[in-house]
Amino acid sequence: MKKKQPVVEDTGEMIPSHEEEDEAPVKAKRSKHEQAGGGGEEEMVYHPVKLSRSDLYRPPSAEELNQLKEAESLFHCSLLKMQMEELLKEVALSERRKQQIDSFIQTVTELLQAVPDSPEVEVSDLSWLSGAVKVPFLLVPKTTKGKFHMAPPASVDLIGSYPLGTCTKPRVTVDLAVTIPADVLHPKDVVNQRYPRKRALYLAGLAQHLTSSSDIGAMSYSCLHGNRLRPVLLLTPPGKESSSFTVRVHACPPPGFFKPSRFHPQRNNVRTEWYTGLQTSMSEGSEPPTPHYNSSVLGDLLPRAHLQFLSAVSSQCSAFADGVALLKVWLRQRELDQGTGCFNGFLASMLLTYLLTTHRISNTMTAYQLLRNSLNFLATTDLTVNGISLARDPDCTAPALAEFHSAFQVVFVDPSGHLNMCADMTACTYKQLQHEASVSMQFWDDPTVDGFHSLLMTPKPMIRTSDHVFQLCELVKLQSSCKKLNLLSELMDHSGNYVHTALPFILSLLQRGLGERIHLLTHSLSPDPEWSVESEAPKHKAQPPLSFGLLLKPELATSVLERGPPADSPKAAEFRELWGSRSELRRFQDGGITEAVLWDGQSMCQKQLVPKQIITHLLQLHADVPESCVRYVGVKLDDVIITGSEVPSTGEEESLRVVQSYDDLSRKLWRLEGLPLSITAVQGAHPALRYTQVFPPLPLKLDYSFFVREKISRSLVPKEDKPCPAYVTPITVICHMEGSGKWPHDRLAIRHIRAAFHIRLGELLKKHHNYPCKPCPTHLDVWKDGLLFRIQVAYHREPQVLRESVNAEGLLVVRDNEEAQALEMATIHKPLLTSTLHGLQQQHQCFGAVCRLAKRWLGAQLFSEDITEDTADLLVASLFLQPAPFTPPGSPQVGFLRFLRLLASFDWRNTPLIVNLNNQLTAVDYTEIKNDFMASRESLPVMFIATPKDKKLSMWTKRAPSVQMLHRVVMLAAESLKVLEHQLMDGGQMQDVRVVMRPPLDAYDVLIHLNPKQVPLLSQAVDPPAVTFSRGIMDGNVAHSGGAMPVVDYNPVSLYLAELRDSFGDLALFFCDPYGGTVIAVLWNPKAFIPLPFKTSQVSARCVEVTGEEAKTVPNVEAILEDFRNMGKGLVKSVEARTEKWSF
Amino acid sequence: MAPSKKKHACSQPCVIPGGFTELPLHFSSDSSAQHRLYVKEHRVRAERSSHRPLDRTLFVLNVPPYCSEGVVKELFSQFGSVQSVELRDHPGSSQESGPKLSKVFKPAAKQGFKVGYVVFQNSSSLKEAKSHPHDEPLVVCTEQRPVRTGVQKWIQQYQESFIQPDKLQQMVDSFMEEYDKRKEEVAERQRKEAEQQEEEDEGWVKVTRGPKGTKARPHSEAANKRTLQKEIKKKKRKELMNFYTWQHRNTQKEHIAELRKKFEEDKQRIALLRAQRKFRPY
Repeated sequence: MKKKQPVVEDTGEMIPSHEEEDEAPVKAKRSKHEQAGGGGEEEMVYHPVKLSRSDLYRPPSAEELNQLKEAESLFHCSLLKMQMEELLKEVALSERRKQQIDSFIQTVTELLQAVPDSPEVEVSDLSWLSGAVKVPFLLVPKTTKGKFHMAPPASVDLIGSYPLGTCTKPRVTVDLAVTIPADVLHPKDVVNQRYPRKRALYLAGLAQHLTSSSDIGAMSYSCLHGNRLRPVLLLTPPGKESSSFTVRVHACPPPGFFKPSRFHPQRNNVRTEWYTGLQTSMSEGSEPPTPHYNSSVLGDLLPRAHLQFLSAVSSQCSAFADGVALLKVWLRQRELDQGTGCFNGFLASMLLTYLLTTHRISNTMTAYQLLRNSLNFLATTDLTVNGISLARDPDCTAPALAEFHSAFQVVFVDPSGHLNMCADMTACTYKQLQHEASVSMQFWDDPTVDGFHSLLMTPKPMIRTSDHVFQLCELVKLQSSCKKLNLLSELMDHSGNYVHTALPFILSLLQRGLGERIHLLTHSLSPDPEWSVESEAPKHKAQPPLSFGLLLKPELATSVLERGPPADSPKAAEFRELWGSRSELRRFQDGGITEAVLWDGQSMCQKQLVPKQIITHLLQLHADVPESCVRYVGVKLDDVIITGSEVPSTGEEESLRVVQSYDDLSRKLWRLEGLPLSITAVQGAHPALRYTQVFPPLPLKLDYSFFVREKISRSLVPKEDKPCPAYVTPITVICHMEGSGKWPHDRLAIRHIRAAFHIRLGELLKKHHNYPCKPCPTHLDVWKDGLLFRIQVAYHREPQVLRESVNAEGLLVVRDNEEAQALEMATIHKPLLTSTLHGLQQQHQCFGAVCRLAKRWLGAQLFSEDITEDTADLLVASLFLQPAPFTPPGSPQVGFLRFLRLLASFDWRNTPLIVNLNNQLTAVDYTEIKNDFMASRESLPVMFIATPKDKKLSMWTKRAPSVQMLHRVVMLAAESLKVLEHQLMDGGQMQDVRVVMRPPLDAYDVLIHLNPKQVPLLSQAVDPPAVTFSRGIMDGNVAHSGGAMPVVDYNPVSLYLAELRDSFGDLALFFCDPYGGTVIAVLWNPKAFIPLPFKTSQVSARCVEVTGEEAKTVPNVEAILEDFRNMGKGLVKSVEARTEKWSF
Repeated sequence: MAPSKKKHACSQPCVIPGGFTELPLHFSSDSSAQHRLYVKEHRVRAERSSHRPLDRTLFVLNVPPYCSEGVVKELFSQFGSVQSVELRDHPGSSQESGPKLSKVFKPAAKQGFKVGYVVFQNSSSLKEAKSHPHDEPLVVCTEQRPVRTGVQKWIQQYQESFIQPDKLQQMVDSFMEEYDKRKEEVAERQRKEAEQQEEEDEGWVKVTRGPKGTKARPHSEAANKRTLQKEIKKKKRKELMNFYTWQHRNTQKEHIAELRKKFEEDKQRIALLRAQRKFRPY
């Protein structure tokens, strides 16, 4: 520190120079980086800052002091402030872009002003519309009265976000309001869709005029928020800027042309007689109100007034535009900003103005505070019950809030007091918004969560957010639902859009049926249709399928019983009405006789489908939607881990049986008497004991005739000519013995004493409980309930003894070594992890299933050696412990998708993954871990996982994965996620989710095909095998004790792999799916194929090539390939060498 | 990459620079590819080991994993009767220290390529082996001497892994007996040394604290460290914090410096992330 470094006078100048340094390599590397997503850039390394002493301790200026203090007190850390600033820079429009927009708007305006007049015709007469341009309107019913002619617009104005300065990237849209001249319209046009049709005709006329111009790029129609009554014309600039922004042309009536009081939500503006074409005797007073129709016409009248209002308020608040931008990013990440009934940027601006005018936020607040306050407001205010209004002093004709509430589900009234801006929003969408806001607030307040990332940077598509998702495929079926639900007047109000008409009713039906089983029911907002100006407006049924998401309450969602009210209570009729014939009277154990519905489901994986049964039943019963239209995406992935022949099961029940058997064994061990030292702890150390084993061990009954019987030790031995016997998984149990002076202080002696304990334990277990036992120096195998437990005796001081050694001077030194670490891992860390994760499973039911799916995927993609079981379990645990921005996964599928997303998108290079097991880490620990990580990044594992017991070393990922393998994992995870989400959400194509479980084998140099007969776990393969082999297993009840010792832990594939890795580990990498894989993929290590000088220490599997006096060695590939065959005799079917790929 | 196919003149040994002779090795008579063993007489300056006599030991490189000591012994007995074979992972002197362990108590050996030390009965066999013609490969697995690999081998291994509990108990007992004996011996020796020391000191006995008399000079690293830490702690306790004005001022200065440092760190982190385009929300 004494050495003076060159002092940089102004820290502000330091940064640009940094940027310049960084910029150059970035540009070159960018394309590569996008694939890598965190891979091997060396330039991007974080180096801890070194500030010179004089820099750190120079007296601060007042301004600097303020800045530092603000950063410290206002934000969790100044990092967040800077992050937000950077984000805003990313979404803001550049000056260049603004200039482009301005000049294009100029051209369009000029073109529009020059629209020629046309003679007056009947509205239904379309003959004046020559050429290919069509009218963007569904003409149902066919005709309406009125006259129409084209005329140049009265004015063309910019409206919406662009003039307000809240327009953000991407998908920049600029709204342009074209005022229809007053003489085209008639004050009575509000009735019977006359005005909307004229507006559509006017747009068609504009489109026809613009087609001839070369200054316009592509042209298409769309409609505002999916409302077919409000078509808009989309224009893009010509040339290569065509995708950079879109101009949306709205046709509007002149301001004040219609009286707002005509659009009172209780009033009717579409006559039943006209709409249905039938004579009715209804007078005007008894016609049903048409609130949605009214608000869609009224909405056209007000945009200029809204713009004025917004700009007046926003000019007071300097951070308004930034605040809206942040809010828009937040909404967009949650898919709430687009489609029918969305909470769009306009509503976001309106919300901020509401908060400003009610003084909930002040004009001087920063964008950060604006976002925080608006989220807080959304989280705490329920607009479905207590609507809000921006109108200061509404005129007497304006409807009251209560009237709005009776007509609409969500109420947010505009400054004029006449328009409900949330007219199309469903209560479910608002609830979703509220839910998102409240979880966001939680994450924000939690110092251990990276708030910036979870709030603004992480997308939350429905398939990854909701536990279960289902889709209504053939939307045309909703037409009959409208009939069944008796919604004719509502249909008229929505001008025939049966999807939007039926949706709120279906939602409330499902909400009633699912009741306590779900936290939240969400639905996708159908996107705005877009069609070319030369084609007819698409029909309502052309909409993409509607998706619904369920956020389950895991503890209630899987209950098979729906218990209703007592038979004699008045509510019973209601219950029967809801459930129809499924409702039955049942007597319960507590004596009550109540209405109840019982759903099917025995195993956990069947019970997962109870919501599906409810949904299909209710939709069929009440809405006439057949089961074939409901595409339920909730358990599609479970197939790959299903076991069990009679009752399909994804392993929950089997795991439970293993755990119960283990508990019994543990009790028996505790009770053993006659041991020289007492047992201090019995701990499980195997994935099966924490519910995360992909295929939990099944109790087996053996067919003795299948084996050779070893008489002396009463054990079975596999026969050479038979298929490999079923694999018996040893379930590791660690048994800690009391510390005592009797233990020797010498590593070899301890090893022998442990062996003696194994023998003694075996003897006792055999004597008292008649379990067949097989003691070994390292462990004791116990055959119990058809399961095999491998007990290892441990002595807590042994790692210490292994570390001690006496150096030459006679000083006792303690040095860490691998042996001691391995022992600590096996006897301390693994049992601890197992019990911790076992606890996690008790809190989150589907934790185990997510682990199983994740590990099945890792295995199938040949990553089992790189991401070990423990690592994978920790990764999954992090999804449950720190779910931000989601809630903990409630179904295996959603958990698995998030696991893939975590692998693919986590910034492994610059961030440690902190798994806060048992919630032991505090915010201080988090910073400490991060700082330690940053300080020594280079020497730490590429995949760094910190846990409360392991803050600095990441012991679980120390050995693997390597940089290259992690890179590959990231790549494959991203690809799998993409394919899988697409498959799950797109009902159109062939469904085969197993695609993501089939590894791409074309990258490998040699494929060793195995003989399925000798692969004991063949039945676990991703694609079920064509042939099955008898493996020495009988059906029937499993004996609890006695019998012969089975063949334990005998798997030719893993033995072969171990041998290959021992022999050729430095020449090649070997990959295999541990769950029934029949292919071993081999990848040569390119470094090993560089000729090396002849040395006695590096001639293994190499041959010498002599050139002159020099002897160099290269791998003897031919002999190695033959060794592959020889070493796996009986197991290897063929060795496929892809010589064409080799380039050495 | 293809292995050098050039054949040397008939029935000539192939000698490569470094003095090694190349011996081709087939797994079985019908295999097409071959590994090459490289042999040379064992010659090490430093080692004077009885079980690797310099004149009779052949040093063999690149022994494939399926060649056990027995197989190597048989392979090389065509050059003369073999006294012993030692296979190791790496070349180097043998270090047989510590008590003898039975096989089951040793950690599992690696199953890779090995180096071998073949000790012949007669030194003439060495020459014979080194002049073995290049085009007559050794064959590992023949009719008379089948070598088990693959499934056969694994089943055999599995069978061999059985140990009778009473035999295991015996091994443990005998080891522990020996261990106790060794321990006693060590204790005895120490006692004797101590006595001798006393005698050498001409009857003077040092007076020390405690029964062991070792408190003054700790014998382990950990103890050394502990003492040091205790000293530091003691020193720290005597210090007064925030007592003088300059101390207080210093703390404040430190605080600002800390904030500044953090600010700079954050700035750099941001610059790094920006460079990686980490701020694009979508």
